[in-house]
Amino acid sequence: MAKRNSVGKALPPVLKIESVSKSFGGIKALGGVSFEIPSGGIHALIGPNGAGKTTLLNLVTGAFSADSGRIVFGGSELRGMKAHERVAIGIARTFQNIEMFGSMNVLDNVLVGRHVKTRCGFLGAMARFPGIAREEKQARARALELLDFMGILDAAYWRSCDLPFGWQRFLEIARALATGPKILLLDEPASGLNAVETAKLAVLLRRIRHSGISLLLIEHDMNLVMDIADRILVLNHGVAIAEGTPREIQANESVICAYLGRDLVGA
Amino acid sequence: MRYLIIIAAATAAGFGLSSPYLLQLITFIGINTLLALGLNMLMGYAGQISLGHAAFFGLGAYTTGVLTVHYHWSPWAALAAAIILTVIVAFLIALPLLQLSGFYLGMGTLGFGMIANVVFRQWSALTGGDSGLVGIPSLDLGPVSLSSSRNYLLLVWAVVTLFIFLCERLIDSRIGRALKAVHDSERAASSMGIDTGRLKVQIFVLSALMAAIAGFLYAHFVSFISPGTFDFIFSVRLVTMVVIGGMASIWGSLLGAAVLTLLPEALGFFAQYEMIVYGLVLIVIMIVLPQGLFRGIQDIYGQTKFSGQSPSAGSKD
Repeated sequence: MAKRNSVGKALPPVLKIESVSKSFGGIKALGGVSFEIPSGGIHALIGPNGAGKTTLLNLVTGAFSADSGRIVFGGSELRGMKAHERVAIGIARTFQNIEMFGSMNVLDNVLVGRHVKTRCGFLGAMARFPGIAREEKQARARALELLDFMGILDAAYWRSCDLPFGWQRFLEIARALATGPKILLLDEPASGLNAVETAKLAVLLRRIRHSGISLLLIEHDMNLVMDIADRILVLNHGVAIAEGTPREIQANESVICAYLGRDLVGA
Repeated sequence: MRYLIIIAAATAAGFGLSSPYLLQLITFIGINTLLALGLNMLMGYAGQISLGHAAFFGLGAYTTGVLTVHYHWSPWAALAAAIILTVIVAFLIALPLLQLSGFYLGMGTLGFGMIANVVFRQWSALTGGDSGLVGIPSLDLGPVSLSSSRNYLLLVWAVVTLFIFLCERLIDSRIGRALKAVHDSERAASSMGIDTGRLKVQIFVLSALMAAIAGFLYAHFVSFISPGTFDFIFSVRLVTMVVIGGMASIWGSLLGAAVLTLLPEALGFFAQYEMIVYGLVLIVIMIVLPQGLFRGIQDIYGQTKFSGQSPSAGSKD
């Protein structure tokens, strides 16, 4: 966590989504969504359930491929790049329904995150060349550092499935950070957290941003979103209905309609 | 340390026992351990089932058998050929098969095992068909003849110890963690940058390779091979060894292989009820010790040793 980027400077966008569409069978999940995430920003993606937020995230990580449109990351187009290759160039994610490696302890979970930053292969693992031991030691040190950063260092040697729920979310973030991302995609990181944990999450996300990592955040907790996001994109039925600062979004008529229903607002 | 125990035990068995029957039995335990260990790397750690592993065991045995008997190759050159052939076959099989998962992978590997068995049976010009391949020469290691049961036992257990050592190192590494990650959640593993498809192919090839080496050791030990040894039932028996000993447990593979090798011998008179007893043993172990014999025994030992302490306190260190 060394480099510092001052927010708001005219840096080139780290992630650029250009009129991306995706359908599943006859259902149009995304219909031509475009937006940019500036380097070192916190961008929130909100919208009612089924608006296409997670689909958009899955297109960026490479879980699915878009029907049309372009996704440009750090200047290069991602089309055709596999999910694991995207991690190596700096795209990390967490999951809405936590997906830990339950059979491993907490530290090993984070060490899996160091996979793209380490080289050891089958032969290296069996022969234990001197370089391998060094690499392993460095990975371990980095993993412990990240656990400390997320405040769950005490649990380093617990089995990950024994962790309390909130810590599991923090573990997922630590694991994603271990991949050394340029952008971190968080799918509802606050869901299931209590108020204290959510406040802690807000602090940590700001710190992550200040270390130079851009954040794309899907979240339903509006207090958190309004608190930490620089900009917010609102999706409804797969279409972007508004984009702007938290203040602009709060005042936006069509956003209020999407959330509360047209009748209520119209009445 | 633990390696020394195996080596010491094998040496003691080799020099202490004079009964050829016991020496042979212990050698078979070693060969089966190698097979179970290889399968455990694939099944227990990476979570990919194979119901056709007897095919690779057979591939190793038949390659060395055919080359030494028909073409008079040196067994060591035949071993190299067996390894290369197995790596190629396993790689080609793994590419399409490991696109599958769960039951479908089970069915796919089962099909492959059956095809291989038909080849062993029908390609009689080379394999001798149902009547088998006779006269596979015994091994020499330079001036040392390995034709005696004792020397062969030592050879087999040296190989087993080597592979236990290598597999333990592999599991305790970046690759080992990646394998377990694929087992736990393939989606999360690929979101950590793991090339899951490639990793699964690699571990499948390693697993097949160990089976082929076991096949080589088997062929030169018994000097006669026939297709019946490498059939579907044997594949299932290997899976049973892994499950009984303990999935994702290297030492469990040894235990599982030992139990399933000794069981038919212990049954003796009741041998005709062998499959019934297998089934019962499997059911009882799965109910009482679902993590397999090795972990189960460890847990029971741990409970008696640390009785009174909470389980979470025990799991921290």
